[in-house]
Amino acid sequence: MKAIFTRTNFLGMLFTVVGVLVIVQIGRIQTSATAEEFRKQAQQYIGEYKKIYPERGSIYDRWGHLLAGNETVYEVGVNLQYVQDPQTIAAAVSSVTGADFAQTLASASIPYVEGKSEYARLADSVTAEQIDQLSRLQQQYASQSANKRGKGKEAPSLSGLVWSPHLRRSYPEGTLASNVIGFYTYLDREGGRGFYGVEEKYNDLLSGTPQEVWVPNDPNLVQQIPEVPPGASLILTIDREIQSSVEQILDKAVKDTGSSSGTIIVSDPRTGEILAMATTPHLDPNQYWTYDQLFPNSTPFNRAISQTYEPGSVFKVLTMAAALDTNTVTPDTPFLDTGSFEIGGFYIHNWDGAAWGPQNMVGCMQHSLNVCLAWVASQLGPTKFYDYLRAFGIGHKTGIDLAGEVDYPLRLPGDGQWFPVDLGTNSFGQGVAVTPIQMVMAAGALANDGKMMAPHILRAMIQDGRQYNTPPQVVGTPISAQTAHTETAMLTQSLVEESSSALVPGYSVAGKTGTAEIPTETGYTSSLTNASFVGWGPSDNPRFLVYVWLEKPETSKWGSVVAAPVFSDVVKRLVVLMDIPPDDLRKQLASN
Amino acid sequence: MKNRLIQAYKQAPWRVQLQWIGLFLLGLVTIASVAGIYLNISARTSTIGRNIQQMEAQSEQIERNIADMQTTLAMITSAAVMQKRAEEMGFVPAEPGNEVYVTVPSYYGRQPAVLAPPPGPGMVNPPLVQPSYTESLWDWLFQGVAKAAQMQGKVLP
Repeated sequence: MKAIFTRTNFLGMLFTVVGVLVIVQIGRIQTSATAEEFRKQAQQYIGEYKKIYPERGSIYDRWGHLLAGNETVYEVGVNLQYVQDPQTIAAAVSSVTGADFAQTLASASIPYVEGKSEYARLADSVTAEQIDQLSRLQQQYASQSANKRGKGKEAPSLSGLVWSPHLRRSYPEGTLASNVIGFYTYLDREGGRGFYGVEEKYNDLLSGTPQEVWVPNDPNLVQQIPEVPPGASLILTIDREIQSSVEQILDKAVKDTGSSSGTIIVSDPRTGEILAMATTPHLDPNQYWTYDQLFPNSTPFNRAISQTYEPGSVFKVLTMAAALDTNTVTPDTPFLDTGSFEIGGFYIHNWDGAAWGPQNMVGCMQHSLNVCLAWVASQLGPTKFYDYLRAFGIGHKTGIDLAGEVDYPLRLPGDGQWFPVDLGTNSFGQGVAVTPIQMVMAAGALANDGKMMAPHILRAMIQDGRQYNTPPQVVGTPISAQTAHTETAMLTQSLVEESSSALVPGYSVAGKTGTAEIPTETGYTSSLTNASFVGWGPSDNPRFLVYVWLEKPETSKWGSVVAAPVFSDVVKRLVVLMDIPPDDLRKQLASN
Repeated sequence: MKNRLIQAYKQAPWRVQLQWIGLFLLGLVTIASVAGIYLNISARTSTIGRNIQQMEAQSEQIERNIADMQTTLAMITSAAVMQKRAEEMGFVPAEPGNEVYVTVPSYYGRQPAVLAPPPGPGMVNPPLVQPSYTESLWDWLFQGVAKAAQMQGKVLP
C-alpha cells in the first residue's frame, strides 16, 4: 500500500488549503459589512471630481494693449494629516505672506478627521516670490530635521504645508480707464464677479462656464480632460494713449480749478466709439477693496454714465439744431435782445443780466444768450421742441455697453410736472437733466451729418478663437445733414469770433460752452455751477467729439473760463495721437 | 492475442509522462505568453497614461505661464511706465505743429487690433488621447475583429 501522507502530498494539500483560504477570504471581504466602506475608500484613490474654472477673458484696448489679464498666484494650505508643528507653519506663513498669525495658527491646528477636515487654507493670492521663500524654508527645516533625527531633539517642521497655483485677475495699467473697466472681486475664488463697467456688463462672457470633470489618478483609466474654453476676451474702443492723456489733463484741471469732480469723454462721432472716458476719482482695480474709501456716500463709479446733471448752455446746440432743422430760424435770423423774455408768466434773463441788443443766431450762440434761445424755443413750439429732444435721445438711456447707466425722465407737456416756463428754461439746459454720455450721443449727430450713432465701448469680442467685430449702429437721424453742417459752421464761427480759449491753432473746431446753476431744495440759490464744454473737429470733417464737465469749480464758475481751455488741451493731444494734420496741410494733402 | 495487441500499441510509460509534461508546459507557456502580452500592454498603457497626466498638468502650467507673461509684458510696457521711460530718455510729448506729415501711398494708417481670425467654418479639434490608450484588451480585440470583418465584407461582394 502506498503511503498517503508522503511529503509531496502534504505540501500539495497545504498549498491547496492555503489557496482555498485565500479565495474564501476574498469572498468574505467582498461580501462583508465593511465591503462598501472599503469600496468608497478605494474610489477616493481612483480619481476625483474637479471643478475647472475657465481662465477669465482678457480686456484689450483698440490697439491690443492689455488692460485686464490674469497672473499666477498661489493658495497656501496644510494637509492636516501631516502637520507636525503648527506653530512653525503659522510663523513661516504669516511672516512671508503677511497673513494674521493667530488665524493661521488656528487653521493649522485643526485636528485631522478623515473625510471631514483634511485640508485647511492659510493664505491666498500668494506671489511666486513668496512661494520661493516658503519653499526654501521648508527645505531648510527638512534638512535640519534629518540632521537631528535620532538625537532626541524636536526640530521645527513645515511638514504638511502645501501650495497650489491658480490664476488671478490683474490690471497691468493700474488706475488707467478703471472707471470704464470696473473690477473683478478676485479674492472671492468661488463667488467672484465683475462690478461696474465692462467687467460687470460682460461678466458672463468674460467668466465663461465652469465645468466639473472627473480626473482619474489611475493611469489605466486616463481620459482626456475636457477642454474648458476660456472666457471671451474683449477688445474695447478705448485708445490707451488718448485715455492716459485725457486722464492727466482731467486730473490737472480738477486740481487747478478746485472742482469737486470732473469728466471728459472723447468719442468718434462717425462710429459712436468711445476713445476715452475719464472721470474722477480713479480706483486701482488691483486693490478694489479701497472702493468704499474712494466712493463714499453713493458717489458714482463713472459719472459719465451714472450721474445726471443740468447741463446748461451746451444744451443750446440741440435747441438751435431743432430750430434750424425746422427752418424756424436761419443763421442770419435777426433777434433784438432786450435782456429779458417772458414765457409762461416768468421772465428769462441772460447769464449776465444784460441786454445784448441786435443779434443774429450766430451771435446768440456766441454770447450764449438765454433770452434768444428761449425765444427760439417759443417760436419752435413745445411739440416740435420736445419731439426733437426725444429724437436726440434726451430722457432715455443711450444703451452704452457699460454697467450702471442712469437717465432722468424728460418732463413733457401734459405730464403734470411740466409748466410752460419749462420750454424757456429747457432751451438753455436748465430744468432738464442728462448724463454726459447722453450729451455726447446727441451732439454726435451734429458732427456726423445728422446721423446719431450708438455710443459703445466694445469693439470686438474673441470667443472660441474667433474675433467678432461689433459694427457701428445708427440710433436715429434727428436732423438733416444740412442742419448739422450749418450749425457746425455757426459754432466754428462763434468760437473764432469770441477768440475762445477752446481754440487750437491750425485746427477748426466747433463747440459750445455751458455754465449751469445747480438746483438746491430752495431753487437755484447756490453760487456753485456745473461748467461744461462740448466740441468737435475738424469742423469740415469731424473725427472726434469731446465733452468736458467740471463739477463745482472754485476758481471761476464759467464754462468759458474753466472748461473751454480743457477742451483745447485735449484736442491738442488728440490731433497728435490721431495723426490729424492741421487744416491747411490736410486740405493740401487731400487735393493731391 | 489481445494482450499482445495492447502491448504492441501501448506507449511506453515514459512517453505518456512526457506527453503530459509537454501538454502542461504548452499550457504554461500559453498562459505565460498571454500574461506577458497583457502585462506589457498594461505597463505601456500605464506609462502613456501617466505621461498624458503629466502633459495635461504641463499644459495647464504653460497656459498659466502664457497669461503670466502677457500680464508681465503689459506691466512693463504700460502707459505710465513707457511715459516715464520716454521722459527719462529726454523725450517730450509732441505738440501740434511739431509733426511732419508725409504721404505714403497705399498706407491707410494704423489699423485697430486683430487678435484672432474672423468667424469662419467651425473647426472640431480631434481628441488628443487616442481610443487605443483607453480601451480594454477585450475592446481592442473585439473592435479589431469587427474591423477585419468589415474589411472582409468590403472586399467580398
